[in-house]
Formats: sequence, structure tokens, C-alpha cells
Amino acid sequence: MTDRAAGVIHDIGYQRYQGPRLGRGYAVGSLLTHSLRTAYGLGRSAKAKVFPWLVVGIVGVVAVVVTAIRSVTGEVVLSYLDFPDAVFPLAVLFCAVVAPELVSRDLRSGVLSLYFSRPLRRTDYGLAKLAALIGAVWLLLTGPMLVMFLGGVFSVDGWRAVWDEVGDFGSGLAYAALHAVLVSAVSLLIASLVSRRAVAAPIVVAAFLVTLPIVGLLETAGGETARQLSGLFSPETLLVGVRVWLAPEPDSMDLGGFGPLYGAVTVALVAACAGLLLVRYRRVRA
Amino acid sequence: MINLTIVRLTLRGLFGRRRFLLLLPLPALVVGMALLADLLGATPDEWGQPVLVGLGFAAVLPVLALIVGASVLGSEIDDGTAVHILAKPLPRREIVLSKLLVAVVVTTLAAGTGMLLAGLVSGSGRLGIAVLAGTAVGALAYCALFLALSLLTRRPVLVGLVYVLVWEGLLTNLVSGTRVLSIQHYAVSVAERIDGSGVVTSTVSAPVALAMAVAVTVGATLLAVDRLRSFSLTGDTS
Repeated sequence: MTDRAAGVIHDIGYQRYQGPRLGRGYAVGSLLTHSLRTAYGLGRSAKAKVFPWLVVGIVGVVAVVVTAIRSVTGEVVLSYLDFPDAVFPLAVLFCAVVAPELVSRDLRSGVLSLYFSRPLRRTDYGLAKLAALIGAVWLLLTGPMLVMFLGGVFSVDGWRAVWDEVGDFGSGLAYAALHAVLVSAVSLLIASLVSRRAVAAPIVVAAFLVTLPIVGLLETAGGETARQLSGLFSPETLLVGVRVWLAPEPDSMDLGGFGPLYGAVTVALVAACAGLLLVRYRRVRA
Repeated sequence: MINLTIVRLTLRGLFGRRRFLLLLPLPALVVGMALLADLLGATPDEWGQPVLVGLGFAAVLPVLALIVGASVLGSEIDDGTAVHILAKPLPRREIVLSKLLVAVVVTTLAAGTGMLLAGLVSGSGRLGIAVLAGTAVGALAYCALFLALSLLTRRPVLVGLVYVLVWEGLLTNLVSGTRVLSIQHYAVSVAERIDGSGVVTSTVSAPVALAMAVAVTVGATLLAVDRLRSFSLTGDTS
């Protein structure tokens, strides 16, 4: 029993890692870029690219048609601010495709424990996924908008007109960012609660579809105040309300004096969804 | 034609999981909106279109039919247990028809109850029956279509969503001719014909709608049977 030769551990040359540790920030950055690439199916099979790029294609076709009409007839069919509103259902469809892909798969295959065993914290995971989805939706909206911008810049005369065009494009980018933040926050929260992609996707779409008729009902049936407040009940009209509040145009939605309320409700909705997302990841079994 | 064991297994697959209870708020929302509209003093002519068509036929019915129709067979294909059914000496026709029956009945009961009650809120029993009938026709065609999709592609739900959102949601509103190829309009048209009071309106005539709905159902079911006959289980999606 005291035969020491049997207990020898041979040094076969394993070495401990001595180099720098990249840490939490690097882990968050990696998760963010990886998720952003996943959203568009980059680095994955052709099957994973079909649905995101189908949506990109449809949004792109809309932008190309709008640009073509403008360059031929000179008439602006959709302004930069109109564009995100016009393609809103497509942004929702994109989220229904991508949000379950980003979070539901991790839940179902039980790999969260692997993520959380790294320096990455639970809140980091949720926020990185949310930031990736926001970025993906923003690119979906602004990429085609860039086509419209290039078409617009080359069809106007004079530096002053070009400068106006740049200003309009800038406000379009900001409005697209607002769209991206709201739509992503709502759909990622829903997707993080359902572990099956096939169930998560329709529920995301349902959340946006079923709220719109409420607005229609209040508009037709309610009084003046109800009509001015009706937009609050659906994400789509909520965003239009914020736009009308910040950049009033003739014959747009009538808000009365409730413009700031639209802004407050938008901020509150995004904060609530992001907060619940973080709570969800604090509670989730990993 | 209908195999009771398959029916029982499918029902258990649908209701054995808690997540399908998540869908019950949708029909309840239709009733709730109808009650709210009535409370606000709106006439059925005013709230019929946004609540019954906008919410019921355009959102609740397709979403319910999509989740139910794509998962009666799709979830078994996903987790690989479809092999056990396919290995039994049953005609494929029987498997597809049993699953379709379950999907249609479940969708009609879930969506139809909400629609019937919302119709009754208007005070007209005929409207309630009309929207229930429209829901049944819609559920039949949608479920047959989505069931066939679950055999044609690995991501039936996303293809179904593209159909519901892009084709029925965007295109049929822009190009009116495509309404002849939209299940939502078949359902509305049938409801309009039975009701007759013009609370819900569609541009597709009822005989055309009924014929097209039958054609979609039969076509999709035949396709599904044919696909299941030469079905090969492949690995998980990437």
C-alpha cells in the first residue's frame, strides 16, 4: 500500500494559460457580434439565411420602387419618416423570425449554463441579445433607406437641396432607431418566455396584430379624447404618435395636447420590456 | 378514415403542454373588445369591421390556426416521434385526416367561441352564427394549408407567417385582385352571406369563396398525403 511508484503523476508537459484574460467586456462584445451575425444567418447554412434575407428583399424592393418613382416623376411617395411606418409589418415579421432564433434556441438546448459560467453576467446576456436585435432591425430599416437617400441626393439640384436631403435622412435614421428599439424590446421579451421557436414566432406577430384593431375601434367609436388617446394602445400607432409629436405635419394624426404622453408611454414600454427581460434572465434556470 | 388513437395522441400533444393555454387570451380579447365597444355606445355597424374582421378574422383566426395546424404533425416531426406513427401499418391518408380533424375542431372551438360570443354581443343571433360559420370555413382551409406546409418545409410556421402577414396583410390590401386567393376573405365572405345585414363586408362573392376554400382544403390535404407517403426524416435544422 505504500508503494509510492504506483502513485506518481508524470509531468507530461501540460501548461496553465498564463496570458491575459479578455474578461467580461470581450465576452459581451463577442456575444453581440455573434448574435448580430446570427440575425442575418451569416456564418450559418443557406437555410438559416432564407427568411431574414426574404424580409430584407421585400423591404429593399419597396425602397427601390419608391426611389424609382421619385427619380422618374419627381414625386416623393414615401419620405424618410414615412418609410419605417410603411414597412412596419415587415419589421415585425423580421423580429418574429430573428428573436426566437436569438433566444429561444439557447433556452431549448440548455446552453445558458455554459454562457453564465463565463465572466458574462445574466444581465449582460439579456442586454447583448437585445442590442443585437435592435441593431439588426435598424440595419433592416436603414439599409434600404440608404438606397432612397442615394437616389434622392442625385436627383435634387443645388447644395442647399442636398443639405436638406441629408437632414431628412438623418431624422429618418433616428426614427428608424426608435422603431427598432420598441419592436425589438417587445418581441425579444416574448421570445425569451417561449422556448419553442415555432410557437414563439406567431405569438410575437399576434402581439402586434391584435393591438391594432383596438386603435381602429376607439377611433370609430370613441369621442374626441378617446380618438386622440387611441394611438397609445398599439406599438405601431404609438410610434406614429411620437413622430407627430416631435415633427408635426399637416393632416397627420390628431394628438390634441397628448404628444408628450406618447413619448412617455414609449419610453415606459421600452423600459418595462427591457426590465422584464432582465428579470426573466435573472430567474431562468441555467 | 379517422383513427381514434391518432386523434387521442394529437389532442394530448396539443393540450398536454401548458403553452397552449397561452392562446386562450386571444379569443377572449375578441369578446372583450366587442363588450367594450358596446359599452362605449358604438353600433354593431361601427365596431363590426374593426373587431370581427380586423381582430377576429385577420389576426386571431390565422394565428391560432397557424400554431395548431403547424404543430399537430410538425411538432412530432420536429422531435422525431413521427417515426413511431409512420412505422405503424396505417394508411397515410388516415394519419393526415385524423390530424387535420383535430386541428380544425380545436381551432374552430377556440377561435369560434370568441367570435360567436362577440357576434351575440351585437344582439343578433344571426351574426353570431354567421361569424362562427365563417370561422369554421377559415379554420378548415387554414389548417389544411398549414398542415401541408409542415410536410413541405422544415420551418412551416415562418412560411405561414409570411403568407399571413405579407400576402394577406399587405398585398391583398394593395392589389384587390389577389383577394380571390386569400383564405381570410373566404371566411369573411361566408360570414357576410349568412349574416346578410352588412356588418361585415367582403369583396369576394360567397359561392366563389366557398368553392375556393374547398379547393384549397382538398388540394392541400391531397398534397399532404402525397408528401407523407414519401416522407424522409432528416436531421435537425442548422
